[in-house]
This record gives sequence, structure tokens and C-alpha cells, in this order.
Amino acid sequence: MNRKILNIVVNGESHQLLIEPHWTLLQVLRNEIGMMGTKENCLEAECGVCTVLLDGRAVNSCILLAGQAEGCSITTIEGIGDPEHLHPLQEAFIECGAVQCGYCIPGMILTAKSFLDEHPGCRPSREEIREAIAGTLCRCTGYRKIIDAVETAADRIALSGAKQ
Amino acid sequence: MNAQTHRVAGHRLPRRDGVGKVTGKHVYAADFKLPGMLYGKILRSARAHALIKNIDVSRAAAIAGVRGIITAADIPQVRYGTAVRDTTVFATDRVLFMGHAVAAVAATSSEIAERAIEAIKVEYQDLPALYDPEEALTSDIRIHPDWETYKALPIISRKDNIAGQARIHVGDVETAFAKAHKIYEHRFTTSLQHPGYTEPRVATADWDANGIVTVWCNTQLPFDTQTTLAEILDLPAARVRVTVPGIGGGFGGKLRIGVEHFAALLARKTARPVKVMSTSEEELTAALPRQASIVLLKTAVDKEGHLLARSGRVIVDCGAYAGSGPGTAAIALQVMAGPYKTGALAFESIAVYTNKVHSGSFRAPAGPMANFAMESQIDMIAKDLGLDPLEMRLRNVVKEGDPGPSGETHTSVSIEECLRKAADAIGWHDRNPEPGRGKGIACSWWMTTGGSSGVYVKINPDGSATLVSGAVEIGTGAITGAAQVLAEELSLDLTDINVTGVDTQAAPFDYGAQGSRTTFSVGNACLAAAKELRRQMFELAAKQLEAPIENMKLQDKHVVAGNKSISIAELARISRLAGGGLIAHGTAISPAPPYDPARVKNHPLPVWNTPSYHAHAVDLSVDQATGKVTINRYVVAQDVGYAINPTYIEGQIEGGVAQGIGQALSEEIVYQDGRVMNANLTDYKMPTAMDVPEIESIIVECRSAAGPYGAKGVGEPPCIEPPAAIGNAIAAATGCWPNSLPMTAEKIAAAMRARHP
Repeated sequence: MNRKILNIVVNGESHQLLIEPHWTLLQVLRNEIGMMGTKENCLEAECGVCTVLLDGRAVNSCILLAGQAEGCSITTIEGIGDPEHLHPLQEAFIECGAVQCGYCIPGMILTAKSFLDEHPGCRPSREEIREAIAGTLCRCTGYRKIIDAVETAADRIALSGAKQ
Repeated sequence: MNAQTHRVAGHRLPRRDGVGKVTGKHVYAADFKLPGMLYGKILRSARAHALIKNIDVSRAAAIAGVRGIITAADIPQVRYGTAVRDTTVFATDRVLFMGHAVAAVAATSSEIAERAIEAIKVEYQDLPALYDPEEALTSDIRIHPDWETYKALPIISRKDNIAGQARIHVGDVETAFAKAHKIYEHRFTTSLQHPGYTEPRVATADWDANGIVTVWCNTQLPFDTQTTLAEILDLPAARVRVTVPGIGGGFGGKLRIGVEHFAALLARKTARPVKVMSTSEEELTAALPRQASIVLLKTAVDKEGHLLARSGRVIVDCGAYAGSGPGTAAIALQVMAGPYKTGALAFESIAVYTNKVHSGSFRAPAGPMANFAMESQIDMIAKDLGLDPLEMRLRNVVKEGDPGPSGETHTSVSIEECLRKAADAIGWHDRNPEPGRGKGIACSWWMTTGGSSGVYVKINPDGSATLVSGAVEIGTGAITGAAQVLAEELSLDLTDINVTGVDTQAAPFDYGAQGSRTTFSVGNACLAAAKELRRQMFELAAKQLEAPIENMKLQDKHVVAGNKSISIAELARISRLAGGGLIAHGTAISPAPPYDPARVKNHPLPVWNTPSYHAHAVDLSVDQATGKVTINRYVVAQDVGYAINPTYIEGQIEGGVAQGIGQALSEEIVYQDGRVMNANLTDYKMPTAMDVPEIESIIVECRSAAGPYGAKGVGEPPCIEPPAAIGNAIAAATGCWPNSLPMTAEKIAAAMRARHP
């Protein structure tokens, strides 16, 4: 055993952990910190359900060694809203019927958030949204209602940004 | 329309589990853990067909952190299976496919378990293998030499490598063929397709002090898993408790036992909780995919394009175990009969063993394979006769009261309406708007599977209700739909209905989340429970209000009798003090309709309950150089009987079509010499957001007699027609008829080159 110290901020909370060098960020988030909203499937960066934000950018946590996130700030699905204070994306996913089994949804919402954050104030076209979320597989919805949801949330975020 | 007649049913209300799912709080089986839990891994065969000469686990057992290893020698010798009891937990004396489980290890981490698996040494002696299902029909090689000793459902007809063989025979086919204007004969093939759920199959098992094993898993059929586990573990069913925390998609791939038995056996061996989760590679080499098939179809028509007689043979490749193969193959016969006037039919299905992965019941088992053959051939015939393919279909579709293939009566028939609406929406009048672009249409029918459902409904002291069902919410929104029915009947809001997870120890029986039946059947059970609760509440209210039960009604969460009323919440509180609480058990069973048994032989599903009708139309372009298909528009007109929640019905249609597009154009588990060549999600190509067009849903409501408010089954049909509709559009665009799925760009380009060298 030759564990190393990892300093990491998850959803605004600082953590200092002893980790095995081969542990992935996904393993640390799920097994050590208990952020179970980050989902586990292919472990080969092919499906996107494990997507989290690393300093604001979407990454596949299943192939990122946790050590590479040293000193970084991670946002998981638990960090963007809760049942009483839903993020506009979370709200729109429910409203638009974009949620079925829901297993890809945390990764899908964080992918969409990263995309919208990279284009502040913009109202992306459906084609742009399609391309932005193409790295996350959803087997339930056929994507249409997910695109509806991202479009709806983008409109609301742009509108509230314009008001401020 | 429904939104006007009902308060809750028929409305686009958000699902009950939505908030949990978007906030990451919904617990899936994959998220489940217990203190001190071990991790299990499975050693899988690297040979397709071989004798096991020796298994040496000594090196693996010596690895620090390994807590238990099991092989076939360590467990009860049991054969299980739905149609044929041919399946064992581990390979016994022989491995039957690459991926066949040989041993399992439990260790303190999954990395250690993985290392231990690699350290187990298995000596094999290769045997000649069968990969081609047609070869398996005539070969002397036996995949199950002892097949005659296996138990099977009495209806199943087996012989040698054939795991099941069914027939539908109607009228005099020979005479009809002799008198026909023309006869057409074609052969089609379809490929092995993975269900593609995003949560792998996973189970955690733990044994308690009373010898009861609890398994937390993501099965679609908790009660079937309970009885199968009881057989495997050699226990009474009551000592097996199956609970489903949450499930990340199923699509029929999680109907039958997946990894639950490995977890339970390892937990028994180690006396510790054990979790087993499939890897992506295991999913693509050793799960329960949709069978590959070969369909031979011969059709006789008159000059006007009326179908006079059809004969056909469907060969379904079951892989190493029968799995759902015999039933799937048999269902293909009804699909091939189609929503058409039957004329004379002579259809035969054959489910055959090969040395490949065993297969399951992926959404609408047999639907896409048989429909692809039948509906492609209809278009080929129409073209040859100079008929519009839509017109050819309209001349042959069934009307109200026509007999179906099993001699049953078609009722609530909407196929003509579906065809016309889909055709109108796609702009059928202009089938070739430009070179390389074409439109296609296809239609089908499908059953609403029967089976029984039970629910308990309890009224809480705050006036809300708790719905306890044995049916799993697999993502479709089915339980939200059933809750809408319950809320409607109890004058509650949907948000007043609390839904519990499934626990076989506490929940009433349900036949399971399968067969487009969940909302239909659980909804009917909710109707029954609501009726009983109204009786209980009216009797109690009669005493409280000193009013007669006659003319009492539920309105706005109150029992109302003339100008007197009392709230449901108040009645629940009174009942808790004086009557043990308001609780009802509602049940539902949908009996099979009458049919003619002389027509149907050795068929496990001889007649369809409450069929639905549907038509799909697509507009696509084919790149003339590369053969790449781009779908411009896709329209579905589907009869759902009554739309309990239009949003989630659209969700079923959009998602089902996406899976059908995958099967049509890109998805195939590719085998070469018994080995899967694409056991990862990069090379197994499921549609991404870039590959699926905006699917347009037209909901048709032709009410059934049996479903809640007239509903019919919804979930499976959308994935049936896409291969045929897309194939027909490719033919319209290129003049080349694809006869093999998936219709990859390579195949289409090759066909175009062959046509215009």
C-alpha cells in the first residue's frame, strides 16, 4: 500500500484523503466521498454517465486518475441543485419529460451545464445542443426531450442573465 | 380530449421519481453498498466449445484479500430456464460459448477479485463448434447432448439442436399458391443486438441469521428472479428476498437472472455481503441480447396485390441456452401475419442452439426481425406490381371484426388510421423529392402481454395514498401512469400518491415490467383497489355523516353525500383509531381472448391480448458515394388506446425508434469464429444524439375494452417498424433492397455499386 494525499474540493467542500495512486476520480467520488449521483457504467469513457465538472469543464471521471485532480474543484450533480432548489437544467429536464430511467441524467445535465457555461448568454441551436451532448449515451429517450430540456434551460438562464 | 374528461389521467404530469433522478438522490442497484461488502468477479470461458479437463484455483486462493472461490463443483447441480431447463450457473463439464461462466471469486476489492480470476488455471480440450444456426439444424454436433433429459414447458417441441419449434397454419396454402397471380420468395437476416441499458446488471446479496438471502438488484422481474434463485440455491422461495432499489434501464435485457445468482452463492460461501456488477465486456459477450435471425418468406398475391397465401420459416439463433429463444421465435409468426387479412398461412419457427452467447427478450422480442422481412417484402411486391406501397397495405389491412392468425377477432382496429396519418405527415404524395432521397413506410401490430398484477393501496392520515406494487419502474413512467389512474379514482392529486420500491417479501405479486403491460395491468389493479377503498370509505362516512351510502361520491379529496362531506384524511385517521386503517388489495388479470387451437401448434403465446396497431414513415437521404444514411424526418402513428400520460408515451415512442434506428443501421454484436469482435461501446455502435432525428409522434386513441380507460400497451411497439421503414426508404432512395441488418453504409454502397457497376 502506498497511499498518497489528495486535496480536492467537491461541491465547495474541501477534502483531504489518502488514496491509492490507481484510483480514478469516479472511485474517489463514489467510494470515498459518497457522491453516488455520479454514475458508473463502461469505465472506458465511452458512455458519459460518469461526467463531472473539473474546474467547470466536463470530464469523464471514470478514466481520470484522482491524483490528476489534485487541487481542483469538482462539481457533481449534487452540487448544482437539490430538491428544494433545483438548477434550471434540473427543472427543465423534469418539465420536458427528459427523464426516464435517469441513469444517464446526472452526466447529461453536467455535460449540458458545461456547454452552457462555456457560451454565457447564448441561446444555442438544437443542432449545437445535439453536438454538445453527443458524448453521453441515453438509451431511453431518443434524445429529443433532452434537447428540449437543454433548450428550455438555456432560454431561462439567458433571460435571467439579461435581467441582471 | 382526455384532459377534459379526467382530472389527473390523460394529463402531461411530471413523473413521481423525476426530482430524485435529476438531483442524483435516486438510488440505483449499482449504488447499493453494505458494510464489509466483498466484490465478486466471474471467470468466463475463452473457448467457444471445449471440455473442461481441470480447474486449478490454488494460485488464486493464495492471493491476499481473496475470501472465496466457487465453481460448478461447489454448488447445487440445478438446471433452470423459462421454456427449457437447460441452463446452469457455471459450465459443468463443458464450456458452450466464449463468455460462459466457469468460476467466481469474492475478494475485498474488485481489483483483487480481478487478479484472482486471472490466476485461475483452466485446462480445456477444444470440441468442434457450431456458429451458424442453419448448420446447427443439420449438424451431428450436439450442443446439449443430454437435451432429452432436460425438463421443459410441455408446449415446447424440441429435437437435437432445436430448442423449440412452433407453427401457425391457416387454410389451404398449397391451393392458394397454385392459383396465385404471382409468388415472391425472399430471405432476410437480422443481427444480434444488445439492449444497451446504461446501468450494467448488478446485484448485492447478504444472508441473515434466519437463513434468508436478500438480493438488491436491478431485475425487471423480481418475482421471477426470486423463484429462479430459490431453485438455484435449493431453498423455498420464501427464503429468498429480492428487492429493487432503482433500475437504470432494462428493455427486456434484465428480465431473467443476470448476476444475482453469483452474488447470492458467493455471499453464502463467504458469509459476507457480496456485490457483483457486469463489466461492459461481459455485457456484450455474456448478457441477454436480441437474437440474430434468418427469415424466409414466400407470398402469393392476385393481380390487385391482395395477399392470398404466405408461407415462411423463422430461424432464431438462441446461442448456448434456449433462454427466451423458443418464445421469441414463436412470436415472430404473429408478427409475420401482421395486421393483414390472413388468407392462408403456413409459418414455422425454429429456435436453435449455437456456440454463442445465450439470448433474451429485448423489447418486442421477434418484432423487428419478422416485421423487417414482412414489410420489406410487401414493398418489393408493390414495386413489382406497380402499386403504391401505402395502397398495397390499405388493400390488405384488417378491419374491425376480421379474424387474426390464431382465429381470434381483431377489435378496436386502427391500422388504417395509423397508416394514413403517418403517410400524410411524411408527405407520402412525393416519395422521391430528389435523387438519393426516399420515403418508406411500415406497419405492425403487437400484443399487450397479460399476466396478473396485485397492488396494496393504503390511505395515510394526511390523506395521501401509498401504492405498493410488485412491478418495477424501469424508466418508462409506467408506475407514474398507474399512479395517475389511482389518483383519478380517489379524487387525489398525482403528488398525493407515494410509490414504494419493490420488495418481494412485502409487495403483492406482479408478473413484471415486461411486455408493454405495466401501466395497463397495474393500472387495472389500481382501479380495483380504488373501488375497494371507496367501499371502505363510504361505509365509514355513512356512520360519521349519518348519511346513506347510495349517491355518495369522492370529490376533491372528500367523501360527499348531498350537502354533507368528510375529508379522506379524516376518514383515514378515524380508521386508524377504530378500524386498522384504510387499506385495499387490488388485483387484475387480463384473460387471453378465445382462439382456434387447431391453427397454432407448440406455441407458448398462442394468441395476443389487446393488440395495438401502428405505422411508421421515414424520409431519408443516402450518400451516393459512401452509402451513409441520413434520416431527415421520422413519423410514428401509434394507437395507445387511451393516452394516460402523453409525455411519457412520446418518450416511449422516441426512445423505441432510436433503438430501432440502431438496429436498422449500426448495431451488431459481431462474431468471428465464436469470438465477439466489438465488446466495447466504441465498436458496438448505439445511436448518439447526432444519429437520431427529431422523432414525431402521432398518438392515436382507439380505446380497448380491457385497459384502464381504454389504454393499450405502449412500450414495445416503437422499436418494431424502424428497420422495415428505413429499409423501404433506402430502397426508394437507391433502388437497392437491403435484406440484412444492420444496413450499414458499407452494405448499401456495395449494393449500389452492384446495381450500377
